Amino acid sequence: MRLAAPRPMTAAVLVVLASTWTGAQTPALPRTPDGKPNLQGIWQVLNTAAWDLQDHSARLGVPGGQTVVDGNDIPYQPATLKQKQQNFANRATADPETKGFLPGVPRIMYMPLPFQIFQTPTHVAMTFEYAQAVRILYTNGTPHPRGPINWWLGDSRGRWDGDTLVVDVVHFTDQTWLDRAGNFHSDALHLVERYTMTGPDHINYEVTVEDPKVFTRPWKMSMLLYRRKEPNVRLLDYLPALLMDEEQAARERAKTK
Amino acid sequence: MTTRRAGILTLLVVAVASLDAAAQTLPRPPVLAGCPTENLAFHSCALQKAKTFTPPRTSSGKPDFQGYWRSLLTMSFTVEGVREDDPLAKDPFQAWEAAPPEIVEPADRQIPYQPWAVPLGRRGVHFKEYIDPRTTCSTGGIPRLSLQDASQILQPPTDDHILWLHDDHHQFRVIAMDQRPAVGKDVKLWNGISRGRWEGNTLVVETTNLNGYIWMDDSGNFYTDTARLTERMTMIDADVMHYEVTIEDPTAYTRPWKVAWALVREMEAGFELIEESCREGDRSVPNLLKLGRKLYFGATWKNR
Repeated sequence: MRLAAPRPMTAAVLVVLASTWTGAQTPALPRTPDGKPNLQGIWQVLNTAAWDLQDHSARLGVPGGQTVVDGNDIPYQPATLKQKQQNFANRATADPETKGFLPGVPRIMYMPLPFQIFQTPTHVAMTFEYAQAVRILYTNGTPHPRGPINWWLGDSRGRWDGDTLVVDVVHFTDQTWLDRAGNFHSDALHLVERYTMTGPDHINYEVTVEDPKVFTRPWKMSMLLYRRKEPNVRLLDYLPALLMDEEQAARERAKTK
Repeated sequence: MTTRRAGILTLLVVAVASLDAAAQTLPRPPVLAGCPTENLAFHSCALQKAKTFTPPRTSSGKPDFQGYWRSLLTMSFTVEGVREDDPLAKDPFQAWEAAPPEIVEPADRQIPYQPWAVPLGRRGVHFKEYIDPRTTCSTGGIPRLSLQDASQILQPPTDDHILWLHDDHHQFRVIAMDQRPAVGKDVKLWNGISRGRWEGNTLVVETTNLNGYIWMDDSGNFYTDTARLTERMTMIDADVMHYEVTIEDPTAYTRPWKVAWALVREMEAGFELIEESCREGDRSVPNLLKLGRKLYFGATWKNR
């Protein structure tokens, strides 16, 4: 009862204490004019999650790597576990990413290529070197549009929880995988992403993955995003489908010569 | 018989692809922001309006271009315009609407191609033998990107970049505003590398490092990888922008030339860009290849 109606002074003290405990005002972070952590810049992972989210030894063309999954456990249902194993066996051709398609979320975040973040009070936009992909994260308080919608990169609505950007993502296709190792999801995929700067050059990226058609419970992955600090670093382009076309065109020309 | 059927099929496929592109441009009004709407007349009038209009400002005091935009006074077929008596204006499969050239300079309103480039670009080899690169789900390129469908401009309050997002094939333009150095000429991108600056109320964007793999319109007009583009964008009233591009390419042209049109604010409440995946569902390119059309990738100017 007393807790339900604290005196104004008590409430203010609690707010200050709470923000200290959660580190909500880490002073070293760069900030935008509206006081939010400034996530802008060019970022990239330094891990092997795009090949395999879980612990794995090196394979030809794939560096060994440690898991980004909490407890290294992805909780498949019995039937979907079989599908995952089949995907792994056929991954060289069955992975939709091998066709140069948009790789889905969260996979686009840990492709081994840079991406750039832009931030205004109402939008956080991410542009990717890989496949010229774009994510627009609305931070203007708007809700998800009404589904069903099947977007390759889903629909992202964000809000700031202290210094953490929390993004809710829904409206996916069932056509993308989570990695080259065959981890997959359905169109019922629901993600909650948390972006927390741990210093001026690092973002802790954490994703809760929920998909009742594929997994028995929600599970979590986390990894660091590193700032690219080369003085004139720029986002270039890597367009896999068009690079495949370009090779094909060169082969055709060689044939007719 | 087979050849004839293939020919008809080609026409149908091309017609469908082109209709899709054409449907995205808005009808031309008689007057826009108090200016006539024939491109050259609009261009001259808009340059005057730009001198007196005071645009809204961002929190940091820069002209505020943020929001959603669509092109006007454009057509997708050719920057050189389609005359009333053009046979393509009466084409049974795809009648192209007559429209003035988007070119406002030089005075003859034609692309000042060097002689070698004319038979490629001017409804020539490209149009007859190659697949429009945009049909393969590439970028429309600059300046074609700005006339396809809706776009959104974001100006982060840090003023170090402007981001121009396009509905068309989820394309984007990163415009660096921080005066950073250029990038080596062997780095080539579909949309090039863009550096911008404010000249009064005008955003000036210079783009180099282009791969020259795009066409400027459906009919195959082109530049090569030595092109340098200068875009100038100025608001002339609250909802209308003057958009002008100077196109230079010492490999393909005898002199710089210029196109101009308008960008108008998208007014629909709650409007947002949507994900336009393309390659993921594309079925047309394999068919066009089967019909003997070729992939472009600058093959004509590279192998001349």
